[in-house]
This record gives sequence, structure tokens and C-alpha cells, in this order.
Amino acid sequence: MAIDCEDQELLDGFLAETTELLEKLDDDLISLEKSPEDADLMNRIFRSIHTVKGASSFLGFDMLVKVTHKTEDVLNRLRKVELTLTSEIMDVILEAVDLVKTLVADIKGGEIVERDLEGTIAKLIPFLSENAVEATVLAPVFAPKEEKKGAPAATPAEPAATAPAAEASAPPQEPEAQAKAEPAPSRQVAPAPQPKPQPVKEPQKAPAKGGGEDLADNSTVRVDVKRLDDLMNQVGELVLERNRMIQLHSDYQTGLNPAEFGDDFGKLSKRLNFVTSELQMQVLKMRMLPVEKVFKKFPRIVRNLARDLGKEVDLVIYGEETELDRSVVDEIGDPLIHLIRNALDHGLETPDQRLAAGKDRTGTVVLSAAHEGNQIVISIKDDGRGIDPDRIARKALDKGLVTDEQVAAMGTREILDLIFLPGFSTKEQTTDLSGRGVGMDVVRTNIRKLNGIIEIKNELGHGSEFILKLPLTLAIIQSLLVEVEKEVYSIPLASVIETMRVSKKEFHMIGGQEVLKLRDSVLPLLRLQRTFGCQEAYTDRDTCYVVIVGVAEKRIGLIVTRLLGQQEVAIKSLGKFLANLPGIGGSTIMGDGRVALIVDPIGLVGGAA
Amino acid sequence: METALTKVKSEEYGGELIQLVSFNLEKEEYGINVLMVREIIRMLNITRVPNTPHYVEGVINLRGKVIPIINLRKKFDLMDAEYDKRTRIMVMEVVGELMGFIVDEVSEVIRISGKEIQPPPPVVSSGIEQECMAGVINQAERLLVLLDLEKMFSADERRLFSNVA
Repeated sequence: MAIDCEDQELLDGFLAETTELLEKLDDDLISLEKSPEDADLMNRIFRSIHTVKGASSFLGFDMLVKVTHKTEDVLNRLRKVELTLTSEIMDVILEAVDLVKTLVADIKGGEIVERDLEGTIAKLIPFLSENAVEATVLAPVFAPKEEKKGAPAATPAEPAATAPAAEASAPPQEPEAQAKAEPAPSRQVAPAPQPKPQPVKEPQKAPAKGGGEDLADNSTVRVDVKRLDDLMNQVGELVLERNRMIQLHSDYQTGLNPAEFGDDFGKLSKRLNFVTSELQMQVLKMRMLPVEKVFKKFPRIVRNLARDLGKEVDLVIYGEETELDRSVVDEIGDPLIHLIRNALDHGLETPDQRLAAGKDRTGTVVLSAAHEGNQIVISIKDDGRGIDPDRIARKALDKGLVTDEQVAAMGTREILDLIFLPGFSTKEQTTDLSGRGVGMDVVRTNIRKLNGIIEIKNELGHGSEFILKLPLTLAIIQSLLVEVEKEVYSIPLASVIETMRVSKKEFHMIGGQEVLKLRDSVLPLLRLQRTFGCQEAYTDRDTCYVVIVGVAEKRIGLIVTRLLGQQEVAIKSLGKFLANLPGIGGSTIMGDGRVALIVDPIGLVGGAA
Repeated sequence: METALTKVKSEEYGGELIQLVSFNLEKEEYGINVLMVREIIRMLNITRVPNTPHYVEGVINLRGKVIPIINLRKKFDLMDAEYDKRTRIMVMEVVGELMGFIVDEVSEVIRISGKEIQPPPPVVSSGIEQECMAGVINQAERLLVLLDLEKMFSADERRLFSNVA
């Protein structure tokens, strides 16, 4: 059934607010589990659910009202200390919250799907009866309908703001045996326990998986009013400068003294330069989001994972206020989830193993973000068993990813880098948590797509750390402009290691590959003029420039005609027809309005090595 | 973005009026449905893009958007010609992407009735233009070739666009 809501604006407001509340809720609930005494937190959680309930009943989303109402009742009892919080209760509450998320996602998608609410509600019911203090979760068989109807609904003090009619007049629902077969928008709230592929310590069912798997949806932005005001001021300035320019032009046409014009024009361009830089900064700031957007999903994920794996984990988060561009925030969620899964699944030991190794029962995973220059550095660090290079090497050999000779020639770092090879997994058997058919190779590819790098620090027996270094924005990069036979190309400065002027006599040929002796190593060379098939314009030169670019451990020298200098450039895509050109990563527009192509060093290095 | 383009077939138009932008290539006259054409601009600096098919002249900056430019003469295997002051770039939206096409001259917008469109003649020469010929318009004093550019970019052609190394 489609949504009939006359006031689109109300609906949008509802969705934006609810989404935000639900995002925060997961995080709060996990914190609550750690400190059940925190009354403020408790009240905040209660209020969030209550707000969602009120808003949904106002807009007539009956299914939402049902679930939130029951959840609110349970929370209310917890708030009044009629119930003590156990992890069973928390599981059920989290499941209910997941269900709420699914329902909200349906509304967002514009189609209300009949979903099975009974399973979840039936699990909430036991906690509402008077003697539920010691209530345990019933085996999650759907409670038959009669039982449900007869359940004494505790009547909490209904705040007057909500419509109490919603529950009473809700039409009786068909028991949805086929709930799982329905097309779910992005995930399913599992109404029934799924058989676990590995024995879990406590015979409980896992909470519905996938809660918080789809990361923040960033279709709307909240902007600080002050930032908006600043922006308006800047635009005002820009308008003034434009008027000044028009004035200058008309003065010039009416035969103004040219010398004066030169002066005025110089001043004008200085001011324009200043205003546009400011404007650029402002807009960039507006696009910035705290990385918390992504991080706040993790406590929940870690909790569920730890339970499934039978491990005890403390997740410590630092620097969640660090801001980076939305485009990057949208992209880092998946790689981070994968790395965190790895830390728990492969990195941390079980409590018994930890005790045997003389460590605390509880492992620690530290997730941190910080700015370093114009990069953001995100690290996922665990104090688990670390990565054993020998095991990695053996595994890579077994899988036929490398040869004996290759391994023999490798340093520890290179061996660790083997885990990024496609088809590599050290787990003897993949659990349903890690792996999922995506390996570290996908993580690395994702990070590279963002012009980032990933590093591993490792201490056998004491843990490992994965460090991601990412640019703050994808839209603007620092680049080195070079000339190749009268054509201008831009090379991302992030991958440039050094530049040098060389005489052509210094090039050598080894096995058909041009190389250059650089200090004590041999550097393979690539003539951009040949790679890009440029018309030769200068044949009489005997010196040229070599731009040394590096990707991960690989180095390669690009031979160019001249260096033009360094410039901050805005990246423009070449459209889908020219998307996969070898060695070309995009384009940018230069000061004179011409297009310059941006070289993709990764593509070139990969192609040459 | 939806293109306002319908596949041009002679029977589709029945008796309705359609408007065509007519342009010249090597003294021949061609027509394109006016709804496809975004704008017509003069020649400007084209940046060559390496490793693309020969008829891709390069890219230009169209008010901050970078769009590919295709030389229709090269595409149709005609003789190369110098650009002159009548040369124009027709910016069109083909399969959802903006692209520019270099033509010798853009002459006018004409109105024709759908009835005037005849199916293309059976293949005499095997020019590439055959592929994207949607019909022929025979008016008393002139003959126009109606083009369907969507056909020009068949699926493999689009792949080729990016993988000619």
C-alpha cells in the first residue's frame, strides 16, 4: 500500500527526525547496558522512543505505533526500576529498534509493507507482566494469538500528547508466516533464530543481525546557522566584487586612464581571490561531517559480534568529532566494518586463551580518528594475538598466491601485505561474520578509490593495528602540473615522491625497460609522451624531468618535458563514456578555462610493474 | 535525467509536426530532433584525451562541466576538413550523457510533418552513417538524412570508448 500523506513536508520532517533519533538510540542502548544506573541516559532513550511513537501516531503509521508503544512500555518499567536490565531484555529491545528501523525504511521508500510484528512484540510482552522481574525469554516460538490478546498490557502513564486510540483500533493482523519471503528493502529483521554455524556459549538466539549495517543515510544535511550566515556574508562580498568588476569594465570602455585601470584591476583580482578562497573554505566546511556518523554504529556491531564469537570486548572510541568530507564519510563505512570484524574474529582471542597468555579476559579494540595535516588518519587497533607472518606466508603458499622464491625474498612488511591479495583468508573456516565473500583486497580497493592508503602495524602476541590515511575531501586535490610535449597533465601531489631534472644520457635500458639509477636503486621509467601518444614537439632537448610517483611500495619515474608548478585543482569526472581510460583518473579545469587531464598514478604503476 | 527522445520511426510520427535542427557535413544535409540538442557553440579549445577511438576529438569545458567531443566527419569516415568560422559543436544529450558533436555548419530549424519521413534506402554503401540513419526526408528542393544518435552508441561501442588502449 502506498503512503497517503497529504503533507509531504511533515513526512520529510518526520523521517529526518526519526532517522536521527534511531541512529543515536543504538549507541545509547549499548552505553546503557554498560551503565544501567545512568538515569539521564535511561530517560533520553525513553524520550527518543516516545517521540517516535508520538510522531508516528500523529501521521497514522499504525505498525510503527504498535512496536514503539510496546518498546516504550518495557523501557518505562526499566525506568521505574520495576525491571532490571539484563542482556536478554536488551536483545529484545534492540530487535524492536531494528524492526522500527525497517518500518521507517519502508516509509522512506514510499511503500508500506506488511511486516511481521508479532514475533518481536511477543518477545516484549513477557517483560510487561507484573512478575516479569525474573522473566526469561521464552523460546522464541511465536506466541499464539490468544495468548497475546490476553496479555495484561501494563498501562504506563500515557502522556496526553499521543493518541491512545492507535493501539485499540488497530485491525487484527494476519499472522504473516511468509514474513521472511517478502522483499525487504535493505535487510531483514529475523523473526526466527537462525541456526548458528558455531556453538555459542550461552544458548541464546542472536539479536537480529544487520542492525546498523547500512550506514548513515546522508541525504539531508544539518548546517550550523552560523556557518550559513558566514556563507551569506561571503556571497555578499562576492556580489560586491562583481559589481566592482562591472563598474571597472564600463569605466574602461569609456576611456579611462589605462595605468589606473591596471592598478584597480590588480586590487580587484586580489580581493576576488581572497573572497573565493574564503567561500571555498566555507562550503567545504559545510560538507564536513563528524566521523561520528559512522563510528556510532560500531558499539552495536561489536556487541553483537562479541556475543556471537563468545569473546569479551571493550570498544574504545577516540576522536569521533573529527570532521571529514561527506563523500569520504559515505565511503569508509564498509571498509571499517570489515576491519572491525577482522579485529574481533581474527585478532582477539577467546577469554580462556587470553587468560592463558597472561592477559585480561576482556580484549580491547581501539577505534580512533585524527587529523594529520590535510589527511585524516583512522586506526583500528586490537590487543589480540597479532598477525603471524609465518602463518600468512604458509597460507599464501598453500593457496598458490605466491611462490617459494617470492616468499623467500620478502620482508615482514611485504608478507603482511599478502593479506590484501584477493582470495586470501587465514581463518580455517570462514564464519558468517568475517569473510562474507569480501576479503581485505576489497577493503584495500575501496580505500585506494578514495586516494587513501592502508598500513598494518603488528606485534605478534600483543595485537595489530590497521591504519587508514585518507584525504579530507575527494573534490579538491593538490596537484603537480606538468607539460608533456605541449600538453598539460596534472599529477596528484599525494603520490609524488620527488621530482628531478635528468639528462637523457642517464637513462639505461634493461630488458627492454628504460630505467634510471637513483642513489642505490634502479627506477623503472615510463615516458608519458608514449603512454599518452602525444605529438612530439621537442626533439632537440637533451634534458627532461622525471616525476617519481609511488603507490604503496612501488616506485616509478614518469618522464615529462617540463614542470609547471603546483596547484590546487577541483576534480571533474569525464563522464561515463571516458570512465575507464588507462592512466587517466579524471580532469580539471585550469585558470584559462582549458581542461587538463589528471593522471592516475595507480593505473600507471600497476601497468608498468 | 530522462532524455526527451523517442526513437525516430517513420510510423511513430503519424501526422504530427516535428522540428529538426539541420546541419551540414561534407555538403550533405542532416537533421536531428530538436529536443535532443542542448545548445550549439562555436569551436573552442579541445583537450586531447589519449587512448580513445580516433573520432573522439577530446574534451571541453562547458561552463564547468567536462564533456567529450566527437568529430562527426571522422565518425562517418569522411575526409578531414579544417575548422573554419562556420564550424560548430552541437551539444546533445545522448543516453543520459552530454556530448558535443563537431559539424561543418548548422543551418536552421525546420518543421516537417511525420508523414514526410521515409524509411532509409537499402544499403548501398556501407558507411557507418547507415547504422544511425533513422530515415530520409524528401522535400521538393532538398534531401535530409534523419539521424538517430542513440544508435550510434551501441553497447559495444560504449565499451570501446573506454578500452581502446
